[in-house]
Amino acid sequence: MATTGHRTLADQLRSWSDERLSRLLRERPDLATPAPHDSGQLASRAATRSSVLRALDQLTRFELCVLDALVVVGQTSREGLAEVVRATPSAVLEAADRLVDLVLAWESTQGLRPLSTVAEALPPGSPGTSGLHPVSPEAPAPAVVRRMLDELSPAARGLLDHVLASGGTATSGTARQTVLPEDAETPAEELLARRLLLPRGGAGVVLPGEVGIALRGGRTTADPVDEPPAVATSAREPSLVDRAAAGAAFEAVRRVELVLDQWGLHPPTALRSGGLGVRDLRATAVDLHVDEPTAALLVEVASAAGLLSTAAAPDGTPCWIPTDAFDRWTAAPTAERWLTLVRAWLDSPRMSGLVGGRDPAGKVWNALAPELASPHQVEARRMALDALRTLPVGEVLATGTGVPSVVAQLEWRRPRRPRTRADQVVWALDEATALGVSALGGLASYAATLLDDRGDDAAAALAALLPPPVDHVLLQADLTAIAPGPLESQLARRLQLVADVESRGGATVYRFTPESVRRAFDTGWTAAEVHDFVGSVSRTPVPQPLSYLVDDTARTFGTIRVGHAEAFLRADDDTALTELLHHPKAGTLGLRRIAPTVLVSSTPLDVLLPRLRDLGVAPVVEAAYGTVHVARPDLLRARTPKEQRGRSVAAARETARVAQVVTAIRAGDRAESGRPAQATTTLSPSGSMAALREAIEAGESVLIGYVDNHGTSTDRLVDPVALEGGTLTAHDHRSDDTRTFAVHRITTVRAVPADA
Amino acid sequence: MNDGPLIVQSDKTLLLEVDHERADDCRKAIAPFAELERSPEHIHTYRLTPLGLWNARAAGHDAEQVVDTLLEYSRYAVPHALLVDVAETMARYGRLRLEKHPIHGLVLVSNDRPVLEEVLRAKKVAGMIGERIDPALPDHWAVVVHGSERGNLKQALLKLGWPAEDYAGYVDGEAHPIFLDESEWQLRSYQREAADSFWHGGSGVVVLPCGAGKTLVGAAAMAEAKATTLILVTNTVSARQWKDELVRRTTLTADEIGEYSGSVKEIRPVTIATYQVLTTKRKGVYPHLELLDARDWGLIVYDEVHLLPAPIFRMTADLQARRRLGLTATLVREDGREGDVFSLIGPKRYDAPWKDIEAQGWIAPADCVEVRVTLPSSERLTYATAEPEERYRLASCTHHKISVVESLVASHPGQPTLVIGQYIEQLDELAAALDAPVIKGETSVKERQRLFDAFRSGEVGLLVVSKVANFSIDLPSAEVAIQVSGSYGSRQEEAQRLGRLLRPKSEGKTAHFYTIVSRDTVDADFAANRQRFLAEQGYAYRIVDAEDVGA
Repeated sequence: MATTGHRTLADQLRSWSDERLSRLLRERPDLATPAPHDSGQLASRAATRSSVLRALDQLTRFELCVLDALVVVGQTSREGLAEVVRATPSAVLEAADRLVDLVLAWESTQGLRPLSTVAEALPPGSPGTSGLHPVSPEAPAPAVVRRMLDELSPAARGLLDHVLASGGTATSGTARQTVLPEDAETPAEELLARRLLLPRGGAGVVLPGEVGIALRGGRTTADPVDEPPAVATSAREPSLVDRAAAGAAFEAVRRVELVLDQWGLHPPTALRSGGLGVRDLRATAVDLHVDEPTAALLVEVASAAGLLSTAAAPDGTPCWIPTDAFDRWTAAPTAERWLTLVRAWLDSPRMSGLVGGRDPAGKVWNALAPELASPHQVEARRMALDALRTLPVGEVLATGTGVPSVVAQLEWRRPRRPRTRADQVVWALDEATALGVSALGGLASYAATLLDDRGDDAAAALAALLPPPVDHVLLQADLTAIAPGPLESQLARRLQLVADVESRGGATVYRFTPESVRRAFDTGWTAAEVHDFVGSVSRTPVPQPLSYLVDDTARTFGTIRVGHAEAFLRADDDTALTELLHHPKAGTLGLRRIAPTVLVSSTPLDVLLPRLRDLGVAPVVEAAYGTVHVARPDLLRARTPKEQRGRSVAAARETARVAQVVTAIRAGDRAESGRPAQATTTLSPSGSMAALREAIEAGESVLIGYVDNHGTSTDRLVDPVALEGGTLTAHDHRSDDTRTFAVHRITTVRAVPADA
Repeated sequence: MNDGPLIVQSDKTLLLEVDHERADDCRKAIAPFAELERSPEHIHTYRLTPLGLWNARAAGHDAEQVVDTLLEYSRYAVPHALLVDVAETMARYGRLRLEKHPIHGLVLVSNDRPVLEEVLRAKKVAGMIGERIDPALPDHWAVVVHGSERGNLKQALLKLGWPAEDYAGYVDGEAHPIFLDESEWQLRSYQREAADSFWHGGSGVVVLPCGAGKTLVGAAAMAEAKATTLILVTNTVSARQWKDELVRRTTLTADEIGEYSGSVKEIRPVTIATYQVLTTKRKGVYPHLELLDARDWGLIVYDEVHLLPAPIFRMTADLQARRRLGLTATLVREDGREGDVFSLIGPKRYDAPWKDIEAQGWIAPADCVEVRVTLPSSERLTYATAEPEERYRLASCTHHKISVVESLVASHPGQPTLVIGQYIEQLDELAAALDAPVIKGETSVKERQRLFDAFRSGEVGLLVVSKVANFSIDLPSAEVAIQVSGSYGSRQEEAQRLGRLLRPKSEGKTAHFYTIVSRDTVDADFAANRQRFLAEQGYAYRIVDAEDVGA
């Protein structure tokens, strides 16, 4: 609309409210880093090819169609745009608003127009394009075009349809390019004469946009473009979905705990490239009774949730070790643990679906490898889950056809990039099933609550579906204890100390062995405590062989004592040792008698020796005998990675950053407007770029100061056409020709008033 | 949540809560496809194995029934992957079928082309098959199989995971009239069922606990076949017992039954041969193999099939056209060749839990006690410094055990007692200390027979026996068994020894089974392994210290 239009894109941005500007920066984050100086630079940056490509990736197929129509039509009113797109007008207007919000189009004084870079970024054949060429500058009115089409001979009409179908370009061959309608001899000449095909340098001809639109009935496409493909569904009881998903959720949590418990004792080595070895993954999969992709998913999710990290094992090699957050995690109820995992999964850019496959160079993708992330994964996952969420209650994805239909719908929503979208969506759906977010092709009701960002409600709803924890076991004469359901977490940990786990699942089978009972003694339990514990957790009488086993193990426990000493002192004369032990100055040496003729000391040999000599004895070093290290296998813990310490902080930081950028731009604009008009003639390099881009968008002439090859500085009046790769392509008024200028040689850029 | 008695674990074990009110129904429902692994007092553990699932298929159950059963009785959600796995495994059985073709003889037929192609390309199968033929059935493909490779092919296909169903039938064999003579006794109901299900299945294995009368199942099968029969047994004593039993229970006379062993080589309409003589090798050949072709046998009975030695497996591979009946107390094989039993003898046709038969009163209840003796310090030192291979013998032959045996024998006066051991020296010492006759490998068969008869009649109340008595010796009167040493941790030996005691007793007396082990040695470790087997069979046991014995 001419009345509300702006002279330049920068002017338009300047006129925007802070809130609208913030929204732009949030949707196109690349514009905000580093913070632009002013609106001019922001506009210039928004028009760069790479930034435009990123913005286009966020459009739906319909929005791309609208943008494509805008490119074809060139510059038009919103209503004019709504007329040429085959869709409901309100939807088109909405799409147009979004394009403006994303600065892919702007409102000039002549109406809505696309950014010049957009046309290049939408090559024919890319998703959403109609294949039409832009409307020619002196386009006849639609009615005139229609009349000319009606006049055509059937052969010419057929030829025209063919050219349209094959991309809108052709070569004229022997046909004369300038001919009057009445002289036309061939169908091609007929078309050229009526300017239904336009010559385009050499023998090429092009079918202009207005003709294409006319051929398609006044629209850019032959088919409606605003309907996303439907998802194939079938009916399924929601409670069944919830039950199956809750079962999977329980298993997923149990398995993560199992693998991390295992890795706390025997951490797998981290590869030099940072991943987890193929063999370790396979062993984990076998341990967990799952296939390798699921095992990869579980360790990836554990890592994303900050429960797993690399750290140096005691021998110095980097290993995958559970973090201290894992200890807090295990203490939480199952539903909350699930919540932690699934939240991390939702925000994780990791593509665990690739694990086990090969990269283009033929190298196997390892789980936990750093390069296994894609910025699009989070979006794809959210979109896939949203597709499930929008299914009517009682409907789930149809078996077989359901997943492909979701893929088709998401490809409609984000048609451009990435090419791996289909894979990502399939992974997301598989992973959701493995983690108990969905089951049987439907989203679990509690997971829907989670997607609404009501995590606590989700955990509560899930908790109600999980089997209630049991507080007892059944002891049997074959020295097994069976917990007929999930045990209370603390009880399970204690029982795990006294007995080995044989089988896991809904129930757990524990087996008592001499080794397991000894392990309990090692951590300080007494035989009486073990008896009490076993008796208190069992619903059934304790079998005699088990009591016997505990007593028998206690009998042999600790008959050999092991201790730590730095040095020993030995003498055949035990009075000499007694004397030394009671020497008033020997108190600090940490001497202790362990046999009549042997003392041990906690002082290292190199300190002990001179001190003994000070005390007046003449010791001899017997041998360079090593000391014995006693080490209980301790659970290893790595530090929680920083980004895990506060999730909400990241969001707050993001908001603050955007606000700060907006403020910076405003300040730049104020400085710009306050500066004397003359000062704008000399520009910083980025300023001159911005000025040139502005001129390209506005289609205005500028005066540039240019230093040529000989070092001569000249002022030239040019109409900038494109700015890319350090060169400016512009129509030079002086030479009346399109020329290229090296941007670094442009010293000044001055706007030329339109009437000059 | 479903309040079922069954918990399905993701590692394919099924836990059955015995005290649950629906436990009995559930047990009956899962028994056809799940192998009972442990049956201690509260929770029984079953396992889903490919063999078990294929056994179920062979018995006419399908995957849907299995899945329905699991879902019906399971308390928690059944892991989806497990259900898929069950369906896939069961679908593998019977894709391939062995059939008789009027022109080409034995053929392998399938209606699943990719599967057939997969197995035909396997290296193992390559030498066993001939040209492809048109099976004259739409959507079926077939290939000729060399007649002699029927067993080997079945074995190979099982290894490839595509077990073939054998429809090629059996030869009738040379007819011979055999009838059960039930004038003074009756075949027990489970024996009848076992014989029937074997006969309808064609070939296969019947699993019954020791003392449950497996011989009679064999006799009943012979009466069904009414054909010349070859019976393979573990040793000569057992062969004699089979002969006596057959004469007593059937219309067969002693002249119709031949013994083919180290000492006697008779071939009669019913011939009983020992594994040992068949597997004797001279100059690289098995000279007694022709026995298998000596007559046109209509039935072959394998006693104690879990002990079947490897050469017999190879021979059995060539006998696939004859009906085969395997008898055993346990399908557990220490060498893990359960798959060969399945493919060469046949699937499990009948199985009755030990405890069930005990509850019916057909076998006696038993009280199992482990007695622990402490080695004196001098022996401990010898033990500690001994070579690993010597350790077990040193530990199990401690002299302390003799005094314990003496006090145990004294605490059961008047009850027929067996003392069982592994090491001859130890047995001789025991015999001297207890003043009892000893039966060992070098004892002549005649002497053995005499002693066993005397024991049965009550003339001798105490026998010291070596492992020759482990199998198939019917000593129904034994009430107390004391084992002082064994073949390391062999679980089936433990089952066999306990089995000696389980023949039904008069007046419902309880049998006593003592094991004497040396504390803190490998003897105790092996004992733990064997005890575990008993506990898993539901025989709760006690552990007492040697000092408390007789107190």
